[in-house]
Amino acid sequence: MATTTKNRREFVQMVGGLGVTGLSRALFPSWMPRMAFRRADDRVGGRAAGDVLVAISQRGGMDGLIVVVPHGDGGAYYDARPTIAIPAPGKGAGAALDLDGHFGLHPALRPLKDMYDARHLAVVHATGSPDPSRSHFEAMEFMERGTPGDRMTSTGWLNRHLQSAAWQNNSPFRAIGMGAIVPSSLAGAAPALALQSIADFHLKGREDQIAALQQTLAGLYGTTAAAGALGTQAAEAFATLDLMSKLAATDYTPAPGAVYPETDYGYGLRQVAQLIKAEVGLEVACLDIGGWDTHEAQGSATGALATLLTELGQGLAAFYTDLGAAMAGVTVVTMSEFGRRVGENASGGTDHGHGNCMFVLGGGVKGGMYTRWPGLGADQLDDGDLAITTDYRAVLAEIVTHRLLNPALDRIFPGYTAPPLGLVRSR
Amino acid sequence: MTLTRRNFLQLSGLTAGALVAGNLIHWTADSAAVAATIDPSLHVLQRLTWGVRPEDLRKINSLGISGYLDWQLAPEQIADPAVDAFLRTQPTLGMGYKELYALAEKNDSSIYNALIWGRIYRAAFSTRQLYELMVEFWTDHFNIPLPDLIVEKTVDDRTVIRRYALGRFRELLGASARSPAMLYYLNNADSHKEHPNENYARELLELHTLGVGGGYTEADVKAVARAFTGWSAGSDVPGLFYFDDVSHDYTEKTVLGHRLPAAQGIEDGRQVLDILATHPATAQFISRKLCRRFVSDRPSQGLVDHTAAVFRASGGDIRRVLRAILSSTEFMQATGQKFRRPLDFMVAGLRVTRPTFDDPSILQGPLTTLGQVPFLWHPPNGYPDAARPWLNAGGLLNRWNTAMLLAGGLDDSIHVDLDARVPPAPTAVALVDSATLVVLGRLIAAADRAQLVAFVADGSGPQTLLTSDMRADKLPALIGLLLASPYFQWH
Repeated sequence: MATTTKNRREFVQMVGGLGVTGLSRALFPSWMPRMAFRRADDRVGGRAAGDVLVAISQRGGMDGLIVVVPHGDGGAYYDARPTIAIPAPGKGAGAALDLDGHFGLHPALRPLKDMYDARHLAVVHATGSPDPSRSHFEAMEFMERGTPGDRMTSTGWLNRHLQSAAWQNNSPFRAIGMGAIVPSSLAGAAPALALQSIADFHLKGREDQIAALQQTLAGLYGTTAAAGALGTQAAEAFATLDLMSKLAATDYTPAPGAVYPETDYGYGLRQVAQLIKAEVGLEVACLDIGGWDTHEAQGSATGALATLLTELGQGLAAFYTDLGAAMAGVTVVTMSEFGRRVGENASGGTDHGHGNCMFVLGGGVKGGMYTRWPGLGADQLDDGDLAITTDYRAVLAEIVTHRLLNPALDRIFPGYTAPPLGLVRSR
Repeated sequence: MTLTRRNFLQLSGLTAGALVAGNLIHWTADSAAVAATIDPSLHVLQRLTWGVRPEDLRKINSLGISGYLDWQLAPEQIADPAVDAFLRTQPTLGMGYKELYALAEKNDSSIYNALIWGRIYRAAFSTRQLYELMVEFWTDHFNIPLPDLIVEKTVDDRTVIRRYALGRFRELLGASARSPAMLYYLNNADSHKEHPNENYARELLELHTLGVGGGYTEADVKAVARAFTGWSAGSDVPGLFYFDDVSHDYTEKTVLGHRLPAAQGIEDGRQVLDILATHPATAQFISRKLCRRFVSDRPSQGLVDHTAAVFRASGGDIRRVLRAILSSTEFMQATGQKFRRPLDFMVAGLRVTRPTFDDPSILQGPLTTLGQVPFLWHPPNGYPDAARPWLNAGGLLNRWNTAMLLAGGLDDSIHVDLDARVPPAPTAVALVDSATLVVLGRLIAAADRAQLVAFVADGSGPQTLLTSDMRADKLPALIGLLLASPYFQWH
């Protein structure tokens, strides 16, 4: 198939009705092991399966006002940020990359501009969690549990999605958190795997004893009351070991042109791409990229934040290139616990604020700006910070409903009614 | 052959007094039944140490539980020769700013490795076990991540955390507030009255004292930030605290309903610390965290209230607060309810196998995989102290692999002498029981014991006679399995 010579848009239109997974066997390299978990087509037992969702948490509170620059606000923006603002498009080196005449992307996010122009990237500004907390930890918990302001919620929004989705699969890779710990968004009864490295996911020991060690461990975790909550985890570990040994048997080579950043985040995205291509039943993947708590010396077109944005953009671009046509069945969403103050502080940084921006990327995304801009005038701010006009749950609800095909919003975001935004196509 | 408990102990080369006493082991060979309950002394040791060793059992049996607690609560009176000797090999841990900065300029990794290995070594091998647990607690509470602040954190560890770990909370808080490591980390060092940096102020309220929901407002955060303008470091003498009156906001402020009069200067910050240290929400917050660390992930409100009352009545005397928690019925009944965090797990393993290393920085690999290298948690709230974030399939596998590593035989640079740990045993079952006692301080359920016997005897019976070759072949993996077992993950 000469799909590489066609542009993605044409390709997606071409395969539209079939669903990309129906074609995947032809598209994916022959060495990739096939597992039993992923649907062979888009409908199983009359129930539709949804996109793979990749949720990226930018921990620390991203400064959305330097990422998606409201250059159209003029003095209200530039006067508040004498040393760290990004110049308006056309205003010399390091200027913003214009999106719609009012907003522009940080120049380090050039790869996202290309996706935006291809209409695979939606940008939502002045969004976030409506709870006023400026505490990292509280805001993160609220965001990940999906019930801002309610400290009693013990499960994460993604776990509630996994529990309530019509499509269920029993793969140990159904939901993963890249890293040492499972994020709060995945907390709950549906199993989730914390994964650092596919290659390192095997039991170590003397080669001639490994089989006996594994058998004994399985016995210890399977029979004893002492295992308690660990019994389930152990069973999952053994199932995963089995699959992982098949996956790790070959080196993964990303598609030509896909160059991931050599960071935990880049390595994580690369492995998510590998798992998607291997069709091991992955439905939800969570990744972190940290370092956004820029209280000092955040820089502008260059500097600390620019470096971080380069990593963010490069990772997304590599993932997008790597998955190619498979992006038709993948949605990526970025979020951060809160934005940062409009005015810069004495240290050339910004303190904790409120409204922020989110990116939604994927083959099913309509692309463009989805923003009701509240403005930066003194009377338009929320306690000195960018106000929120779009609840972040509206963005997620849209993805859940139309891309993950789960209508159970009352379970995922209880007590919240999401207004339609129209930023994705129905799958 | 019928083995009674008495002759088992003789066979294994241990006397009852050496390893166990009283009713610690509820076991007879006839039924091989193991009581589900754990002896109170063993429970106390599981929580007050980083891992129970035979000598700990001897100690608590001679002092009694209450006497043991008294002993551990006075660490300055406990001789610690191993750590004294260790510290002589780690000069950077005793250095001041001048020497450390000079060394750091040479890009010397010894400062970094010494701090991390020092944390692990002292946890594993100090006689002041409870003190080292409190050092860990406050290290998380006043978290400052490496590697950027390696010099400042080396000094902070010694002069803030270790100096006041069992002191009064107000002293500890005050030392932390003046610590250059904290001032740099949370950006107070260059806060200025024109644009106060709120980072430290917010975490001071949220993480160090009142806690989220502790009754402060955004206005309080801003006022506290103004109060701490000028608290800085490194002006004339690199690394030292100083008060910069040019940066300080001398106007009047209101914090939590208290008035901070104009023109106070450095007194503003001190007054804020006084207000916070004596605030009821702080007593609640610190008490809850301590109860969570020492009792269970969900301590009762009653215990927290009782602890908070002691906190307030004692003026934040950490020893008295700890004694209140550790003397409670709820503590005594919380056997096995805490899941070992990765560092707890690794250190407990080290206490069992006592390896020596060609280069101890090899431990940073497994700790990275497990997710808990000391001092590398980036956000200011410290590593999670409840089971949930650590409980997952991937983390479990990493524990199993770490267990096998610590048991020896897998890496040539890690030297373990298991024969010095595990007494001679004639049969498969004797070796299993002997190793189980060494690792867990007690015996385990019959079904689990049978699993281990089958491993040691290659499927033959419990009375299979062991040659020295068979012992050498199986013992490392047997110890690894015990460290990897569910029993060892909870304490």
